Amino acid sequence: MTTATKIFATGWDGPGVGKKKKHGAFRWRNVVWALIYPRREQHMVPTVSGVLLIGLSLGIGMAAYNSSNNILFITLALMLACLILSGVLAWFNFSKVRWQIARPALARVGQSTAVALELVNGKTFLPTYGLDCVMRARPGVKDEVMRAETTLTGKGMDVKAIWKVKPDEEVAHLRLSSRLDPQDSVILDWEWVPKKRGRWNLGLRHVASFFPFGFFNKRLSAVLEREVIVWPAAREYQWAASTGAKWLSGASNISRTGQGSDLLALRRYEPGDSHRLIHWKASARTRQLLVRQFSAEATESFSLWVQSKEAGWAKAEQFEVLVSFAATLAEDLFRAGRLASVRIDDEVPKPIRHWRDLESWLDTLAVLEMEKFNADAIPRDALRTNRNLITFVPEGQAGVVAMIDGEKAATA
Amino acid sequence: MVKKRPQLDLDDLYRLKWLLGGLLILLSVSTVLYLEIDAWLLMGLTTLGVSLVMVKPSLPSRIPKLFHTLAFPGIVAIFLGDLYLTAEVLPALVRLDILLILYRGITYRQRRDDLQLIVLGLFLIVLAGVLTVSLLFAVQILAFSACALSFMLAVTLVQGAESETTKANETPGWVHRSRPGLWRRVRAATDARIALLGVGLFGGLVVLSGLLFMAIPRVELQNSLFLERFMTKQARTGFSDRIQFGDVTNIQQDNSVAVSIDVTDPSRIPAQPYWRMVVLDEYRDETFRLSKRLRRESFARERTAANLRGQARARLGAQDYWTFYMESGVSRYLPLAGHFEMLRFRDRQHFRVAESLGVVALRDDPVSMTAYRVEGMQVLAELADPGFREVLKESRANEEEISQLELGVSEGDRQIVEQAVREIVGGASLAPGDFAQRASDWLAQRHVYGLESEIPKGAGDPLVRWLVSTEPGHCELFAGALVLLARAEGIPARVVTGFRGGSWNGFSDNYTLRNSDAHAWCELYDVESGLWLRADPTPGSAVLNQETTLLSAVDTREVDRSWTARFDSLRIFWYRRIVNFDQRSQVETIKAVKEATQNTGERLRAWLDDWGNRVKAWVSQPWDVERLIRSIAGMLFVIVASWVGVILMRKIKRGAWRQRGGRLHPVRIEAGRWLRRFANHSIEGELRNDLERLRYGEERSWPKAELVFRTARKTWRQVRRSKSPSLR
Repeated sequence: MTTATKIFATGWDGPGVGKKKKHGAFRWRNVVWALIYPRREQHMVPTVSGVLLIGLSLGIGMAAYNSSNNILFITLALMLACLILSGVLAWFNFSKVRWQIARPALARVGQSTAVALELVNGKTFLPTYGLDCVMRARPGVKDEVMRAETTLTGKGMDVKAIWKVKPDEEVAHLRLSSRLDPQDSVILDWEWVPKKRGRWNLGLRHVASFFPFGFFNKRLSAVLEREVIVWPAAREYQWAASTGAKWLSGASNISRTGQGSDLLALRRYEPGDSHRLIHWKASARTRQLLVRQFSAEATESFSLWVQSKEAGWAKAEQFEVLVSFAATLAEDLFRAGRLASVRIDDEVPKPIRHWRDLESWLDTLAVLEMEKFNADAIPRDALRTNRNLITFVPEGQAGVVAMIDGEKAATA
Repeated sequence: MVKKRPQLDLDDLYRLKWLLGGLLILLSVSTVLYLEIDAWLLMGLTTLGVSLVMVKPSLPSRIPKLFHTLAFPGIVAIFLGDLYLTAEVLPALVRLDILLILYRGITYRQRRDDLQLIVLGLFLIVLAGVLTVSLLFAVQILAFSACALSFMLAVTLVQGAESETTKANETPGWVHRSRPGLWRRVRAATDARIALLGVGLFGGLVVLSGLLFMAIPRVELQNSLFLERFMTKQARTGFSDRIQFGDVTNIQQDNSVAVSIDVTDPSRIPAQPYWRMVVLDEYRDETFRLSKRLRRESFARERTAANLRGQARARLGAQDYWTFYMESGVSRYLPLAGHFEMLRFRDRQHFRVAESLGVVALRDDPVSMTAYRVEGMQVLAELADPGFREVLKESRANEEEISQLELGVSEGDRQIVEQAVREIVGGASLAPGDFAQRASDWLAQRHVYGLESEIPKGAGDPLVRWLVSTEPGHCELFAGALVLLARAEGIPARVVTGFRGGSWNGFSDNYTLRNSDAHAWCELYDVESGLWLRADPTPGSAVLNQETTLLSAVDTREVDRSWTARFDSLRIFWYRRIVNFDQRSQVETIKAVKEATQNTGERLRAWLDDWGNRVKAWVSQPWDVERLIRSIAGMLFVIVASWVGVILMRKIKRGAWRQRGGRLHPVRIEAGRWLRRFANHSIEGELRNDLERLRYGEERSWPKAELVFRTARKTWRQVRRSKSPSLR
């Protein structure tokens, strides 16, 4: 993959991003039309001073025509020339500027997440001033089809509704308060605090500027969105006094695989295993790659199972508690090295060996939705047959209890 | 590593905005200097106040809050009081505008206050321009535009940088945090190239405004602007229908331009032209005036029109046009050299015409420059008035004394004058022309010309006292004296005031009359011919000023090439090309552009033909070895020089880029260009890899760029020759 492809893959957008020329696309009528009618993604909204200038020009123009007074014609010509100059300088200001969003590494409900917007001025010697970048975070819809709309093509849509901020959306203004020199870049940070878990689309809604004279607010719409999966909020929970301590201490010594130093067994190589674990002699003998398997440090591991199809999860708030409790507990267990596998509903249990395995599972958990009662769900009694299995049941109106092998272990 | 230019912080931007706002105010109120509205005190206060707060921005914080509360009610009260006392709307509005500007200038402003300031300033400047049509307006509107645009830019930069706005009437924080050395920081933060670009863009703005001004379609609605109704202006000069001794002398001391005249045929202007404005027939109480009877009988009813047909008959052949640009404050009477066929105003005007007197009078003294064009003007020393013969006959029959024969002095003074007449004529009966000559000679013997004259003290009429003295005198005294002498002899006579002479501006090719050319002379009526004969008794003038002087006009006219004439030529350009630019001018401009383009095209074609013929002639000359060698050497030199030039330019460009440390290295640009060219062609070998490395790779990993590009050129030639999408 060439560097060019890499650049586009990270999502640069803006007037400074080179676009492929269409074959035979240059036509003078296109150039003239572009001067008169703005392109689809550009909007020019007059400000108070712009409306004042336009109003003054109209007034002076009418007086000039009525009186054939050349002084008024001169003034009118000067005002119109100022409007044109304003447009030219605004075009220069945006010229060869590009931007991209760096997706945050981690996003969790209630925690501040830094979303970085990088602006680059690709011009040779002209600086750029006064950019106002409007960032937007909106809940994402799975398999949503993004379709560009303009105020003219929106069928039956209220024009104002296009620009109106929806209730779920969050909007932030990132202002370029200082000069952006030519061939320079700047990173603007947005401290976003997600309010809900799930899929979110983080994007740049538009970039606007009042430069140079504040007559017009020139907006360039940006097609730059990144999907971010927001994990559930961290949830405080308490281990039950009687059983919790027992499971926490892990009294029984069990020969289980882990990160210990005692060789437990040899097994076949699986993708993801460290190369240092390969037992070369055994592999040469058996003509297949074998890795060493060490015993755990005398601690027990747990499997975690989240069931969303149970009838008990009738309330949305309680379901949220379930999700956040499960996520927090899984993380805590992983950090303690005691998380063996995770499971949601009828899925095959996924072993958790690395952080990315947990991340993937947390992503799935983040988008988990509460479903209606499913009569085919596995009855709870069947769970008792699995060892060190953590399940979750509702308690009361809003509480959730974590059960280990059917015994109450922790409460959130 | 390229050193970054420092940036101005928010406080510096605030300070810059404050200073630009102050400069805008000073520019706006300077219109009072030539607007001639009584607002000097306010202008002085505003200039002083704003200058102080520009230097010390913390001063407005000391203004008590009560002042702000009472400011607007106070301003409104002052305006209403001003309106009530002066009864003039426009001057009161101007003073109100200045008061508002003063208030905004000495208080801390928010964004909407900044906009208000610009609108108030623009109002003053545009109003001054409309009322005065002065060239100063052009300078001022350009300076104001530059300042206002810089101000708006500063406001926008501040708006982008500030995180919260200050509340109204609160002292902003930057006031107390100002650091010295603002201009040093501004200079350090400014890139010279961008400053030059800014100047260039402003120049482009001016050019664009000019083009828009010429291109905006004109419609001849011929409605006058209503503003002059709200303002009265007294003429600065003495050209009114009532003149007292000494007034003309005041005018002659003023060397400013009064009238500028464009004439299609300069030879039509005599060597010593007389431009008639006011006729004063009655002398009473030491004052010459236009009598009520003459005003009633000679002046037609007031009309409102843009055109006026005159007494002169249309002539066949080429028409000559005289375009007069009369400055404001001269007079409401239009200077004319004689009868005319047609007079056209720039705008519709209210005027009255006295055809028998050859006088056109506007209703009011114009507040701005008045332009009018006269067609078919007759430049003659006499004015035909056959109707007066009948008036004279009738008055003699009824034994009435008409104003043109009435002396208007006491009996004693009458005898003095009659004694003087007897001395002049010596008992003979002279024709009016001869009498005028003799009387002028008699006056010249007794009096010399002088701008300062002292009338001897004593009883009786001052003019008579001067007549019999030997004191020096100015044109008014000479003219008045001749009128009295002529009347005493029984010849109807009257004083005429206007301009005499003028100078030819060598830069703008127009005739200029200055206020110092103001003059008074006489007209004596010849009953036999029915003509009013011009008689100028002032020493240094040809008394009767016959037409023979017309022939020497072109040679003897005074050509003015002084610096004053140079500046005046700018004013003429302003009047011709801007103020008087109308639909006809637009059409003429378009025709001129078309002709110029056609001529340029023809000239270019002729040059190319000529060059082609020369080349043909050169080639067809006999060739020898020496000539052949010289030609080949010349061609080789041109090719080598071009090739060296191209390589040098490339090296310089890359060297400059290296110094600036730009990310977009020209090698990368060229590599990117080649990659795009080869995008639809599959090229094998190392070429694509090398091009990609040059485009995207680190500089230290580059192969030799020249070699790669040479290979690319060669490959491209092969591709084009084969015309095949792939090359193996």
